[in-house]
Amino acid sequence: MSLLLEYHNLLLKTLLTERLNSSTPTGIDQIISDFDNVTYHVSTPEKKTQILISISIKCFQDLLQHGAQGVLEREYGPYITETEAGYDFSLLIDLEALPEDPAEREDLVRRVSLLRRNTLAAPFEKAINTHHQLAEAAKSASPESAPQQNESEVMVIRYRDEEAMYIQASHDRVTVIFSTVFREETDRIFGKVFLSEFVDARRRAIQNAPQVLYRNDPPLEIRGLVDEQQQQGQGEIGYVTFVLFPRHLTAQRREENISHIQTFRDYFHYHIKAAKAYMHSRMRRRVADFLKVLNRAKPEVEEGEKKERKTATGRSFRVQA
Amino acid sequence: MSQSLRPYLKCVRSSLTAAMSLSDFASQTAERHNVPEIEAGKSPEVLLNPLTISRNEQERVLIEPSVNSIRVSIKIKQADEIEVILVHKFTRFLTQRAENFFILRRKPVKGYDISFLITNFHTEAMLKHKLVDFIIHFMEEVDKEISEMKLFLNARARFVAEAFLTPFD
Amino acid sequence: MAQVNWRLIDVDALDPDNAFPADLLTPQSPPVSLSEIQGIAQHCRQALQRGDQEGALKDALSYPPYGGDEQVKELHLQTVLEILSSIKQAEMSPILQRLHSGPEGSETVDVLMKYLYKGMARHNAGSTPGVSTHATGVSTVSGQGGREYGVAPSRGDGGGMSVLLSWHEKVVDLAGTGAIVRVMTDRRTV
Repeated sequence: MSLLLEYHNLLLKTLLTERLNSSTPTGIDQIISDFDNVTYHVSTPEKKTQILISISIKCFQDLLQHGAQGVLEREYGPYITETEAGYDFSLLIDLEALPEDPAEREDLVRRVSLLRRNTLAAPFEKAINTHHQLAEAAKSASPESAPQQNESEVMVIRYRDEEAMYIQASHDRVTVIFSTVFREETDRIFGKVFLSEFVDARRRAIQNAPQVLYRNDPPLEIRGLVDEQQQQGQGEIGYVTFVLFPRHLTAQRREENISHIQTFRDYFHYHIKAAKAYMHSRMRRRVADFLKVLNRAKPEVEEGEKKERKTATGRSFRVQA
Repeated sequence: MSQSLRPYLKCVRSSLTAAMSLSDFASQTAERHNVPEIEAGKSPEVLLNPLTISRNEQERVLIEPSVNSIRVSIKIKQADEIEVILVHKFTRFLTQRAENFFILRRKPVKGYDISFLITNFHTEAMLKHKLVDFIIHFMEEVDKEISEMKLFLNARARFVAEAFLTPFD
Repeated sequence: MAQVNWRLIDVDALDPDNAFPADLLTPQSPPVSLSEIQGIAQHCRQALQRGDQEGALKDALSYPPYGGDEQVKELHLQTVLEILSSIKQAEMSPILQRLHSGPEGSETVDVLMKYLYKGMARHNAGSTPGVSTHATGVSTVSGQGGREYGVAPSRGDGGGMSVLLSWHEKVVDLAGTGAIVRVMTDRRTV
């Protein structure tokens, strides 16, 4: 894995690419996991040529409220099939009715492997659309009346057991808030270091990046919503706010940026873990170094071992260390 | 080496050298036992006056001598939250490997970050001045290691943040 | 009573015959009263004001209040620390050398060593005031050091410690590690 996370599911993509390009259909029954407790089930229940792909995603009910159905129909139209029991959404690919053009096939694979991303994209798309509407309305309205009705309600996506995304559109921005739990003290402090760099990065290097804010209590926008969630007292919760400005929400940029911001939580935690792993290997090296110095304190062990001593009868023996 | 570190380490070195005069001493309270008296604490007459060497409020060394063992405890500098967690992780990492470190105490003395327990058996099997060298080396390296790890963490965080935020534009 | 873990009870501690007699552990020293030690402190401070740091140090170290209570010892430690921090770095070695070669010189230097360790130990115990940092480079003839006596000076990065550490280094150079060993073994604590 490189520095940035990829948006699609690699395993799903590999599997489908292989199936679609192979001439001999085989049976598949495979569970594939993705970030945020998302599970795919890829199987051939009826015929070997018909691949059923189902996704289970924790917050599907939340997503449906914010137009997930529409987004999925747009992306997968004819491939949508009856939802498999125990899953939230299913696609069926018939290997005998594939598009002829290899480029189109490849595009199909790409789209299917972005299933998680597309499902989660619905509230973002909705927010961006609302933003454009509000921006239009604000432009046409007189400055006095502008303040009313220039913010949408906050959309809550509970995509993990204890963590959620909050999305709010307004006439000049889209605000995305991640709540994230730090299980351990170390994570919390490492997270703080990382987040303070996120906050500073815009000031220092990347002026056009979204604004990032970090705090430990719920930000103003979501204060009313957080209390409903049952916050288990374990670990500490942090709130990371991304403010996307109109320049990030243009038609050219929006698809890419929706994908990108979705990866934030996993990217962030991945790098905390990576930093910890590095620290660990570093300490291991340091310990080896300390041991070497400590062992210098032992007087000439090798020499004692080499020297064989003889007893009076001529038998040799070793001196016990 | 910083200006104030040298006299500090020099003082620790001479104090350790003086304190590490240990001899075999069988327990007076339990028959056929031979325990580090500084840990047993049952015979006040074989415990000596403890010595404290401090560099400043945050960094100090406590040497508790006795007839057959000394306990050396080190308080490592911790300027902020990050250093506290790094020191904690590092010392825990070491104490979990105490088996290999012969002289490392599994639990630090209260108020300190890491403790060593050196008995007469250690000074008999190992060279005393090298043991002192080790503790001095340890004190030098620990500070260096902690500050390097902190620098690394900051650099990594910065890099990661910029890498994530750049694609937005 | 079921909760008591009988195996962990130290029966020896309950036997009065086993207790090591405390008066054997700590040798008897004549008691020192607070007024007595205040007199010495006063005397040393006057010597300091005259610019006679060496005399002040010598007098302070000649009367270690072994028999005094905590308050007395604390007061005398203050006096010694004040004198120590008023002596410039360059003067340390010559003064030490003269002290060491004088009558009962070895004893005096050992007492100094006790105060050095006590000074470092006390510094950490709490937020008790320590050595005034600025005095090292400042000539104390002005008498300022006298008035600041006992007042907590604002310390930077443990500058007071570095004074004690340099003294320690000089004492070890002169008297060897033997001085440290005598600090550890002498039951008469300052």
